[in-house]
Amino acid sequence: MIQLFHVTKRWSDDPPVLDDVTLQVEKGEFVWLTGPSGAGKTTLLRLLFCADEPTSGQIIIGGRNVNRLSAGGVPFLRRNIGVVFQDFKLLPNRTALENVGFALEVLGASDAQIRERAHRRLAQVGLAEKAGSLPLRMSGGEQQRVAIARALVNEPAILLADEPTGNLDASLTDSILQLLFDANARGATVVVATHDRGLLSRYQRRTVQLHRGKVTADA
Amino acid sequence: MTHVAWRLLRRALINLWRAPLPSLLAVVTIALALFLGGALAFSILGARTLLTSWGAQATVTAYLDRALSEEQARAVAERLRADHPGVEVVLVSPAQALERLRVQLGDLGGALDGLSRNPLPATLELTPRRGGELRALADRVSNVGGVADVDYGREWVDRLEALGGALRGFGTASLALLGVAALLVVANTIRLAVYARRDEIEIMKLVGATDGYVRAPFLLEGALQGLCGAALAAAGLVAVQRLVLPRAAEAFSFASGASAPHLAAQHCALLAAAGALVGLCGSYLAVARSLRT
Repeated sequence: MIQLFHVTKRWSDDPPVLDDVTLQVEKGEFVWLTGPSGAGKTTLLRLLFCADEPTSGQIIIGGRNVNRLSAGGVPFLRRNIGVVFQDFKLLPNRTALENVGFALEVLGASDAQIRERAHRRLAQVGLAEKAGSLPLRMSGGEQQRVAIARALVNEPAILLADEPTGNLDASLTDSILQLLFDANARGATVVVATHDRGLLSRYQRRTVQLHRGKVTADA
Repeated sequence: MTHVAWRLLRRALINLWRAPLPSLLAVVTIALALFLGGALAFSILGARTLLTSWGAQATVTAYLDRALSEEQARAVAERLRADHPGVEVVLVSPAQALERLRVQLGDLGGALDGLSRNPLPATLELTPRRGGELRALADRVSNVGGVADVDYGREWVDRLEALGGALRGFGTASLALLGVAALLVVANTIRLAVYARRDEIEIMKLVGATDGYVRAPFLLEGALQGLCGAALAAAGLVAVQRLVLPRAAEAFSFASGASAPHLAAQHCALLAAAGALVGLCGSYLAVARSLRT
């Protein structure tokens, strides 16, 4: 599903943020991407959803070579990738339902379809009763659940999460991760970046360790 | 696809509503530019109508050779009528010319009685029925056999033409300047709007919106601003037409056949198209640059 071949990312003359990374993630796999701050986890995820381009190397997602993708092709690739961020990235002036439906709006779904599917996703993450609430009136955990619902609403094949529990209390972490595991159980390929070693020991999955832009362990 | 178009239009309207001040500034600027442009265009059009009407009154006078007999003079007149069907040709015999002069001199007309012979030549008065091309007509007539001299008030016509040309040049330059000013204001307004909604744009792109989908509400916003500006400008021009033109019409009355131009439906459509175009181009400039960064 995701293949990286000798991928390097460098900003001007600085040392590479990613250095000759070769990695393969199978369809339906759940992968932890770990390492200290500055290891290159976020950069790797940004390359996967085409927010940045690699300096060298090849990235293949769902059989499509990202390097050969035209600018017009990027949005269509992104429709198969759900992304969850540490800071949620919700629109403050839209309700939870509208935030989730936003991902369907750009796909051209009708208003009725958007309402129905967004409601269903919100119910799935346990926020059916908060559909009309604005993000700022919700807790951090609830906001992250809305963000996950938005990432999953159009049933993407790949789900990328960048420190999804980084801003949350430990008590909320498990419920958020459970949503990611559920998505994985339904068939999505999930890559989660985290520096929280506790999570890795509690939920043992394949773990790719990055250090100074290099893959130092993959087990 | 209609629901998508409606959704984009709705978002553009909401965005206009949420940022009323910059939108109002853009609308007023476009309205001002279109109003001034429209007023200028109408002034030029009016001035041209006036100039044309004056030009149409001008007559080419061809002085015939004194050696020509009355028969030959008539033959020259016939030939000119045949060669220039759009021109009224009137033959004025020496006797008629002397009579006109006598009338013009009034009480002094008696002085003409002392002349031993009529010194005035026969003339042909040529008046183009549709105006214009006075100089070309005079050139052609001067080459006709039997015509000794031609007079058409060359200096006056040349001045009118020069004035018309200057008005056209000034009008074009002013319109271009006003258009560019309006375009820049719209571009800046939309740029502010893009900046204010950068988070929304980022998320839109993140969830797979195409550049066209991201741009569309901003382009619609610009076009709507342009249309609102055009409506305001049209209202202003109509007001001027109702309040000022009746007085201006009096000034026009001395030019027979000339009338002040009026704002018609096609002029309103032209204003609307110009407004929408300025709004669209301004917002396209802003969005194209802002989305690249």
